[in-house]
Amino acid sequence: MDTSVLMMLDRASKNHFDKVAYRNGEESLTFGELRKLTKAVGSWIARKLPPESPVSVLAGRSVITPVCYMGAVQAGCFYAPMDSAMPIARLNQILKVINSEIMLVSKDNLELANSLEYKGKIVAVEDILDTEADEALLASAVNNLTEYSPLYAIFTSGSSGVPKGVITSHHSLLCYLDGLNEVLGLTEEDILANQSPLDYIAAVRDIYLPLMTFAETVIVPKNEFAMGAQLFETLNKYKVSTICWSAAGMEVPAKLGAFEEVVPEYLNKIVFSGSVFPGKYLKIWQENLPKARFINQYGPTEATASCTYYEVKEKVTEETVLSIGKPYKHYGILLLDEENNAVPEGKEGEICVKGPCLALGYYGDAERTEKSFIQNPLNKNYRELIYKTGDLGRIEADGNLTFIGRKDRQIKHMGHRVELAELELTALALEGVEECCVLYHADKKHLYMFVAGRAESKDIVLHFRKVMPPFMVPRKVIKLEEMPKLPNGKTDMQKLKIYFK
Amino acid sequence: MNEVLEILTDLRPDVDFKEEKALVSDGILDSIDIISLVQELDDEFDITIKPADLVPENFNSLEAISKLVERLMED
Repeated sequence: MDTSVLMMLDRASKNHFDKVAYRNGEESLTFGELRKLTKAVGSWIARKLPPESPVSVLAGRSVITPVCYMGAVQAGCFYAPMDSAMPIARLNQILKVINSEIMLVSKDNLELANSLEYKGKIVAVEDILDTEADEALLASAVNNLTEYSPLYAIFTSGSSGVPKGVITSHHSLLCYLDGLNEVLGLTEEDILANQSPLDYIAAVRDIYLPLMTFAETVIVPKNEFAMGAQLFETLNKYKVSTICWSAAGMEVPAKLGAFEEVVPEYLNKIVFSGSVFPGKYLKIWQENLPKARFINQYGPTEATASCTYYEVKEKVTEETVLSIGKPYKHYGILLLDEENNAVPEGKEGEICVKGPCLALGYYGDAERTEKSFIQNPLNKNYRELIYKTGDLGRIEADGNLTFIGRKDRQIKHMGHRVELAELELTALALEGVEECCVLYHADKKHLYMFVAGRAESKDIVLHFRKVMPPFMVPRKVIKLEEMPKLPNGKTDMQKLKIYFK
Repeated sequence: MNEVLEILTDLRPDVDFKEEKALVSDGILDSIDIISLVQELDDEFDITIKPADLVPENFNSLEAISKLVERLMED
C-alpha cells in the first residue's frame, strides 16, 4: 500500500524511466528525470528545514513546477503553491498565512519573488537542480512521517477577506486518485491535457495521475484557451485522450464554436467539475464526441478534489439538470438539516462528507477548522469527523445525489470558489467606498459590484486587478446614490438585480 | 476604432489598449474576456464573428480587432 506520493514516483521511475511524465511545448520531463531532480531539490531543502515544514512555491505553467512540489515532499516537507499569475497583494496574503522559511521559485519568477513581502529564503529551483542527492538524509527526512503527514496547503477564497490554506495529507490524495482511477481506468497509453493553474486543487489530477498510471500530462499554454479551435488543434497534436477540466473551461470552446472548426479526435474520457455544467453546452460536446465518456464530479477542496461522480450516459438536453451521482471509493456522504439531524431521501439538506479524504483543516486556523470539520452528529459512540460543505443537496430515489445550491454566499465562477463577502470587504477597505454589495449573474457569468460612495468605478476595478486573481475582479461596478434597503436595514439584493441587463 | 476602444476599455479598464500588441498571445485577455468581447462586438456592429476568425492575429491589438470588425461589416 502506498503511504506517500513518492512511492508512486519511485515505481513510475523504475518501470518507465524514459517515458515522459509532463510536457510543455518543447520542454518535457521523464519519470526518471522527475525522480532525480526532485531528489536533488529535496536534498537541498532537507539540509535547511526539518520535516513537515511548509515550503512556498512560486511558479507558473511549466514542467519545473511539479519538480518544486515533489522536491519539497522528498525533504519530508509539504508545499504551499502559488501561481505567478496571481497579483502581488494576493501572494503576500498567502505568504503571511503560511509563514514558510523557504520559497522555491522558477527562475523567470525570481524578480517577482524578490518584490514580495517575504522574510524567508528565496531560491531559484534551476540553481539547485545539480545538488547531489543525499540518500541517507532523504531517508531520514521521511523516516518519521506517516500517510497522514501533510502533502500540500492549497489556498482558496475566504469569507473573512483572507484566503484559507486547505492542508491535506498524502493519504487523502492517494484515496482520491484511487477512487478516480477506479472509474477512469487510465493506462500508460493515455495523454492528459492540463487546464487548471498548477497551484489550484484541480491540478492534482494532472500532476499525480501520471505517477499512478504512467500516463503523460501535457500542460497547455493559458492563451490557447481563449481561441477555441487552436485549443482543439493542440489536443490533436499531442493525441490527448483525457481531460479533467473545470466545467467553466469546457464551456468556453463550446461557446466559441470551436467544434465547427476542429474536433478533438483522440479524446475519449472527459471529466469535469467546479460548477454546474449547463446542459446546452454539454450537449454540444456530447454530439461532437459521441463515443467519449463524460463524468461529472462534485466536491470541495476540503474533501480532496472531488467526492462524488456521475457518469453521464443519457443524451443531454438544454433542460438537463446533471446529477452529481454517488461517492467515490473512500468517500462517504450524509445529508444533515439545520439541527444536525439526518435528512430523509428526497428532502433537502446540507451535504457532508466523511472518510479518509477529509483535509487536515485550515492551516494556522484552528477556529475555522473546528467549525467546518466536526464530529458526525449522528455518531454518539466513537470519533468520526465530517466536513460540512455548505452545499445543499438531495438524495434521489435511485440513490444519486442532486446539487441544489449554497447555504451561504459562496459562488463558483470560472471554476473557482469565490466568497462574495471577500470581494465586499476588499472594496469597503478602499477610500471612498461607503457601502458595497456583490451579486453574481449566473447566466451571464458576471460579477456585479454595487457601491455607494465617492470612489470611481474604474478605480475600484483597477484596484481589484492589482490585489485579486482575475476571476475575482468584478466585471461591472455600478455606482448608486444609496443602497436599496429592506425594512431590517439590510441591503435589498432582489432590488439590485434590476441592474442585471 | 473609437467604438471598439470604448468596448475594450469598458471590458478591461486596467489594460492600455493603445500600447498592447499581444493581447491574446501574452494572455492579457483571457477566455472569459474573449467571450464577452465577441458578444459585444457582434451586438454593437451587427456582425457575426465566426469560430474561424478566432485566431490570435485577429485579437492581439486594437488595430487587429478594428480591422476584423471592418472586414466583417463589409461582408
